[in-house]
Amino acid sequence: MLILMVFLPMIAALVCYPICRNSERAWFTPAIVISGAVFVMGLFLVLEPELADGIDFFCGKGIYFKAGGLRTVMATLAAFMWVMTALASPEYFSGARANGRYFLFYLWTLGALEGVFLAADLMTLFVFFEIMSFTSYVWVVQNETPEAIRASETYLFIAVIGGLTMLMGLFLLDNAISKLVLEEIELGSGLPYYSTLRFEDIVRYAPELSPRLRYTVGVCALVGFGAKAGMFPLHIWLPKAHPVAPAPASALLSGILTKSGVFGIIGISCWLFDGVPGWGNLLLIPAVITMFLGAVLAVFSVDLKRTLACSSMSQIGFILTGVSMCVLLGEHGSIAACGAVLHILNHSLIKLTLFVAAGVVYFNVHSLNLNDVRGFGKDKPLLKLAFLSGACSIAGIPGFGGYISKTLLHEGIVEYCEHLTEHGLSAAPFKAVEWIFLLSGGLTLAYMTRLFYIIFVAEKPEHQHQKTPYMSPMTGAVLAIGGLLMPLLGLTAHLTMDKIAAYALPFFRREPMAHAVNYFSLGNLKGAVISITIGVLVFLFVGMKWLTRKKDGVDTYRNVWPKGLDLEDAVYRPALRGLSFVGGMAARLVESVGALLIYGTVDLLFLGAKDKVVPPEDEQFSAYSKQSERSRVERSFSADLLYAACGVLALMALAAWNMLR
Amino acid sequence: MKILTILALLVPILSGIALLIARPQNRTKRNHYVMLTVCVSAVFVLGTALASALNGPEAAYLHVADLSDKLVIAFRPDGVSLVFGCIIGVLWPVTTVYAFSYMEHESRENMFFGFFLITFGVVAGIAYSANFFTLYLCYEFMTLVTLPLVMHEMDGKARAAGKKYVLYSMTGAALVFICLMYFLRYADTLAFTYGGILNMDKVKGHEKELMTVFVLGFFGFGVKAAIFPFHRWLPAASVAPTPVTALLHAVAVVKSGAFAVMRLVYFGFGCEFLRGTWAQYVVLAASAFTVMFGSAMSLRMPHLKRRLAYSTVSNLSYILVAFASMSPVGLAGGLLHMVFHAVIKISLFFCAGAMLHHNKLEYVYDMEGLSKKMPVTCGVFLIASLALMGVPPLGGFLSKWTIGTAAAGNMHWAGYLGAASLIVSAILTTLYMLSAAVRFYFPLKDAPAQPEHIHEADRLMTGPLVFLMVLLLALSLCSAPLSAWIGGLV
Repeated sequence: MLILMVFLPMIAALVCYPICRNSERAWFTPAIVISGAVFVMGLFLVLEPELADGIDFFCGKGIYFKAGGLRTVMATLAAFMWVMTALASPEYFSGARANGRYFLFYLWTLGALEGVFLAADLMTLFVFFEIMSFTSYVWVVQNETPEAIRASETYLFIAVIGGLTMLMGLFLLDNAISKLVLEEIELGSGLPYYSTLRFEDIVRYAPELSPRLRYTVGVCALVGFGAKAGMFPLHIWLPKAHPVAPAPASALLSGILTKSGVFGIIGISCWLFDGVPGWGNLLLIPAVITMFLGAVLAVFSVDLKRTLACSSMSQIGFILTGVSMCVLLGEHGSIAACGAVLHILNHSLIKLTLFVAAGVVYFNVHSLNLNDVRGFGKDKPLLKLAFLSGACSIAGIPGFGGYISKTLLHEGIVEYCEHLTEHGLSAAPFKAVEWIFLLSGGLTLAYMTRLFYIIFVAEKPEHQHQKTPYMSPMTGAVLAIGGLLMPLLGLTAHLTMDKIAAYALPFFRREPMAHAVNYFSLGNLKGAVISITIGVLVFLFVGMKWLTRKKDGVDTYRNVWPKGLDLEDAVYRPALRGLSFVGGMAARLVESVGALLIYGTVDLLFLGAKDKVVPPEDEQFSAYSKQSERSRVERSFSADLLYAACGVLALMALAAWNMLR
Repeated sequence: MKILTILALLVPILSGIALLIARPQNRTKRNHYVMLTVCVSAVFVLGTALASALNGPEAAYLHVADLSDKLVIAFRPDGVSLVFGCIIGVLWPVTTVYAFSYMEHESRENMFFGFFLITFGVVAGIAYSANFFTLYLCYEFMTLVTLPLVMHEMDGKARAAGKKYVLYSMTGAALVFICLMYFLRYADTLAFTYGGILNMDKVKGHEKELMTVFVLGFFGFGVKAAIFPFHRWLPAASVAPTPVTALLHAVAVVKSGAFAVMRLVYFGFGCEFLRGTWAQYVVLAASAFTVMFGSAMSLRMPHLKRRLAYSTVSNLSYILVAFASMSPVGLAGGLLHMVFHAVIKISLFFCAGAMLHHNKLEYVYDMEGLSKKMPVTCGVFLIASLALMGVPPLGGFLSKWTIGTAAAGNMHWAGYLGAASLIVSAILTTLYMLSAAVRFYFPLKDAPAQPEHIHEADRLMTGPLVFLMVLLLALSLCSAPLSAWIGGLV
């Protein structure tokens, strides 16, 4: 069944492609049916946590899958996201071009993503991770606008760099583990042994690896996975690529594709670095920066989808903070691990709702700029409620799913602070992390409130494009499901979310939590209150005052973010251009040195020749002339060859004569 | 079974000579004759491989002549020969089909196909030779019979390229010759023996000398495999007609060089003698450098065929890195990459040839948005590019993975350099392949649209392309048996 989950979408898409290729609408049914089938299979997986499967002739060493724990949760969640976005697609893609291409890659990416989540070893994970990078590239470039092409190139390049860095790490790890395995089973026959880097092998041999090797491998893998997760400083593609993709694709890119990177980081952190606190500290730095930077970027953005994309980046930072806390806390890390899992789940559902809502806005207004879309949702209750539910959840308002996961993440940090104080160590850096955490939570509330205010409360401009009805029932259903799920999960946390978290924990190699957390205790509400206070203040003073200006009696939303402050344009692209220039120069220089060596030798050989070269352009093979035709032929290179051939013939004749005698 | 070996070598050579003498003027008849003989020869070449695989190399052993007790001309297809034999046996007929269409507008087809046939036999000779002397003879012979193919157009550029080719090849041969002399002195036999042929009693005290000679020999054979600084002939030779560039300069000739290097390392000096010495590090570092150098140069080439030629320079050194790792894994990785790179690069050249031949498109920037007009060619080009970059699960990934593991397995700076050069070069490969291939599909907005007269290549060209693609996908997706087979040969 695992193989089917991965390959059914891929093969089915290939089969459907010739049929549905040029049709605008024929795709929707197969897309919904296929992703629905994968979702149903995912639900069945929950019952069979021990399922394992593989194809051993495929791709050199074979590919192997395994179900259970976080794998099942992620695989099912991914399929759910696919079903939902497929339902919202017919409206968004009506009248669009190249739908055939989009859906081919849409389903391929589903298969690849299932492959990533169900992988039993790092090799399989890597294989599908790379496939996913390339297939999702097509989503980003789908609209073929100049921005889309530029953003997609950034996306592809970062993905390739990340993938190859990870590959380097895998080389090293594979090499080290193969040696250890070989020593153990004493094959010694000289046959190349191919390990597939199973997670079980990794955790078993990890303590025997040298720390240097372990960290090298870890950092290489972190670059690869972090690039996909949108981790600082490899986040640059994310705020650019997500907005230019079609809205359902943005929902998937933000909601679940980034999670494949997070999934990989969890795999590395909990299997290769099990019980290595140093790794937790290393991971915490980029995680906290990502968390904070994403929130700040989102506050300053004036583009609806860009705000949501930056928000995704920030939320990924929250999840990674949870993962690093889980590593730092060692065997007590269950609470942080639960927080990470639940935040993955919540964030996926939230971004599904919000991006589909953004798609509805774009589909009507044909713009994402906040100045154009303001007031769009004033008289649209379903859209308003769904958006509100998503906003509340992501901002961590008690009663919504996001509150539960953020509380657990917060608890994780608090617990580690206590743990440090108990051991007589200074907890100050982690107090700072806690405050950054709360501040980022506040910023989340601020930018979501601002979005809500602009779209649903502010005055409508006079000429705003809108079609009737403003959305189809199917899109409405998606929004309703997404919007309802979040309070539902948040209010029944002990019945639903705790169970899901406990089910996923084995992948973190942690025991379930000893006792249930009282989410609505005073201590836990305190964190939320601090965040909300910060959020309201930021919204009022930054969002409403600094970033908003009255112009002709109408509020306009300014873009005050300095243009030059863009890591990609300011650093990466110039650096790449410089590198390619230097590399090209070096290559040419070296080549001319090589040529100099060769031609220098030739010139040296002809140094004594005083006569003219005829014809002048043929320096090596022409004759030295101003003499008779005959001597020119005699002194040419071909004549030399001829002499040499005669000599060889004569020698051979002599040898033959000797042998005969 | 001997008869198969004889036929595999003689049929192509004799039928090629016959074509050169008869010079038929009727195109259809000549094409039928060429197709028939190429297919028959391919059957013999593959048959020899099969016979040797089934009955062991001794069954197909062919002893031709003794010049002295050590200088023996003999052919003996062993395990590693089979890999090379199968590559050329499969790809030669495919290229022939492609060449029929391509050569219609070029002049002097008789000359072309005559030497094309002869080369087939000679390369089979290289693949199946039993000792260094035979290898050397076939190797030299190959230089001579491929020269008319390189200079086919006979304009100034082609002649200059041909001369360059000969000059470089002769340099290489001279270096190899030194190596051969030392073998005569320090080895008891010239016949390939896995593990080396040196007589360690005689070698004692002369290790440094022999290592120097090894480095010379490595670079000597490396000339054909376009190792830096002896690579310049290869991009220059891309002026030849595309079937030649595709088959000879991406597969047969250059792979002969890599194959000969493999013989020298594993069957001549032996890994044990060389492993961990400065000689190994020198050749490993040189190959690793060429890997990066070739990719970097490739990125600077807007001319598509020349870009592919530099890419070949880089990829051949992948193979050399693998062989220079001097481990069984390295041997397996190198052979795997020989197979995959052959199929990938020949497809890419065929695509470039189709664009050049039908639409006179030579430069990458003229090809933006081409996929609408040439869907099959562009599709094949894209898949082959991805495979060349090493995107899993396509073929290039497996071979690069094996090479990388072999290089890193050396546990030495030169080995890590080799593995790192693979990664760097993979990034550059992405840049130079995708900056061409992606633009076929997503042109920049300010690029002019492709004019009306641009059209897809004819069936005789797209047929081989599609066949190669199917072959590549089949080899990639079911690569475990292939890698197990090659791993078992070692």
